Amino acid sequence: MLDIQQLQIQLGDNQLNYHQQINSGDIVTLQGVSGVGKSSLLLCIAGFIQPVRGQISWQGTQISSQPIEQRPVAMLFQENNLFEHISVLKNARLGTANIGDTEIFAAAKELQITEQMQKMPLQLSGGQRQRVGLLRTLLRPEPLILLDEPFAELDNQTRTIAANWVNKIARAQNKTVLLVTHQMEDVDILADRNWLME
Amino acid sequence: MFTKSSNIAGLLFILIISSVTVLAFQGLIGFSQRGADLALLEDSYFHSILLFSIKQALLSALLSTLLAWPIARAIYYYPNIFFKQTFLSLSLLCFVLPTLVLITGFVSLLGLSGFITPFLGEDWSLYGLQGILLAHVYMNLPFAVRAMHLQLQSIPDSSWILARQLKFSRWQRFRLIEIPSLSANASLIFGFICILCFNSFAVVLALGGGPQSTTLEVAIYQALKYDFNIPEALTLAWSQFAIAGVFFLLLYRSNSVPWLSKDSTEKRWIPCISTATKGIYLLIYTGTFVFMLMPLLALLPGVLAANYSIDLITDVLQALSLTLILGVLSAVSAMLIAYCIMLPIRNAAQRGQLRLQNTLQWLANHTLIAPAMVLSVGLYILFLPLIDLDQLGIIFVLILNTLLILPFAIQQIRARVLQYDNDYALLYQSLKLNFQQRISIEWGYIKPIMLSTFALVLLISMGDVAIFSIFGNDNLQTLPWLIYQYAGSYRIHEASFASAILLLVYFIILLKIERAKYHA
Repeated sequence: MLDIQQLQIQLGDNQLNYHQQINSGDIVTLQGVSGVGKSSLLLCIAGFIQPVRGQISWQGTQISSQPIEQRPVAMLFQENNLFEHISVLKNARLGTANIGDTEIFAAAKELQITEQMQKMPLQLSGGQRQRVGLLRTLLRPEPLILLDEPFAELDNQTRTIAANWVNKIARAQNKTVLLVTHQMEDVDILADRNWLME
Repeated sequence: MFTKSSNIAGLLFILIISSVTVLAFQGLIGFSQRGADLALLEDSYFHSILLFSIKQALLSALLSTLLAWPIARAIYYYPNIFFKQTFLSLSLLCFVLPTLVLITGFVSLLGLSGFITPFLGEDWSLYGLQGILLAHVYMNLPFAVRAMHLQLQSIPDSSWILARQLKFSRWQRFRLIEIPSLSANASLIFGFICILCFNSFAVVLALGGGPQSTTLEVAIYQALKYDFNIPEALTLAWSQFAIAGVFFLLLYRSNSVPWLSKDSTEKRWIPCISTATKGIYLLIYTGTFVFMLMPLLALLPGVLAANYSIDLITDVLQALSLTLILGVLSAVSAMLIAYCIMLPIRNAAQRGQLRLQNTLQWLANHTLIAPAMVLSVGLYILFLPLIDLDQLGIIFVLILNTLLILPFAIQQIRARVLQYDNDYALLYQSLKLNFQQRISIEWGYIKPIMLSTFALVLLISMGDVAIFSIFGNDNLQTLPWLIYQYAGSYRIHEASFASAILLLVYFIILLKIERAKYHA
């Protein structure tokens, strides 16, 4: 279980408060108006923002004091998910030492980006880049997956394909997913629970 | 960021660099046993050299920056101008050209019996302020041109498209697009040139003369070499350190000036220019090209007239080998140290510790303002009673050369590694990559700038004369030192030949730099 207890983050003049429990293996979508602190929460769970107070525990172990490298977290950012100077395939291999190229290409096929794997990131469209980042994040061994608007640049058809793929992989590997989205369609396809932040 | 041990390595290097400067000053203070001569600060001699140092530095920087502007505009607004790449490569060559080669060229052109001297009237003299300004402008104008040209190139196409759509006049384009893009870096370019000229040694030594045309750096050399007046040298050194330090502190609060990056050859949305404007730009460009080529071409008659004995060729080749060995070793060391030093600086930057970041940067770069002569002589005096400097002096040449080229290495790689962290810090931390993976990915990103910076610092270190004049010996000679000796014994043809060989090697290395950039 992911247990977020009385967590408080200070962002400039704004104070953001969170208190929530998420069951292992659940997919939870996060929704709310811009600036409410959805991305900040993900960054805090991943260790990039230090909370003012409160704590985050995963399976009974407190992780909020752990360094980023030791947290059981894989995160997809809104942007800058690929190193621009190395190929897409090399990007996909980073952090996925647990699996081989066969699995990477199988996932790429499902996400319809097989032909992009040998290219450089600059040659990809925004949506293709997002799917490469998504592929890598879901294939990583960490059990807790944080996705910050992963389908934002996808058209409706591709969005459904990607959402279904996330659903399939997360369920098969019993991953716990927190996913920021503005689309109710994503909530319908993926969510065990929708966390509406105010 | 990286591991704690790599941070410690960086901090250790900063400590070592700072210790060398402290040791050098300690060497001088310990030897004189009575510290600096503070009475000198009241002396009119001191005032005159201080004023001259500042005056020539400000004038050199002002002329270089102002003249560079129309030239950079000419290259930018006329992108298909002939031999543009050669021009940009030549600009780089001018900036790193060993001063002695340049002086040899200028003397052949504008000296007492120079080719052009008869056309310049009886009042003309290469020696004094005008000669110093000419040499400084020759070396720094091309640097400023490259930097401004890159700045103009960074104007996004969307700005020009919008300007066209809004039907901007030429004046509006100039005021609203061009000026803002240049003004951000113009003061940095000016300040950087100012520091370089304020610390200029070989040019002022060769073309200056008398108290009216002496800078602090040369006065330090004269106090040590001719009078062996260490209290006076110390006062001058502290003054130089303080003034250049203030310049440097002001400058280092801002970003470094990019000027070594590759020229973009992509077709861009640049405003069309009229035929008349094209003609003016062509004239400015050709004039600059000729100005940059003349001192180099002036070496040719000397090369043709030289007496090519086996001894001459052997001496030149031996000196060239030593120059290359010392240069490569210094450049490799400087690059490794610069990279290590950037690690704690990057850490501080990422944590938003601006004061710590600036302090570390200042310490790491302070050799840019520490007088090379003081460092050399201070260490020489300190170590003379302790070790055999005839045998081991070459190691000191290596160490000091490394320290003096270090700021150039740091300046060049700093922006790139900070940019890397800015773009990817979250990503590489989130991916939990090991040290080897991080280095391997980062290398792909910084490789072009590392290679071109390596070549740049190699060229700068190969041109050294000041350090070798203190620690070198007669058995081992570098090529610039050999040129100095030929010129000093009036063997101008041999000096021209040796200069031409050095120039050829520089040219080959420069071609490699440009190729490395375009294949990156």
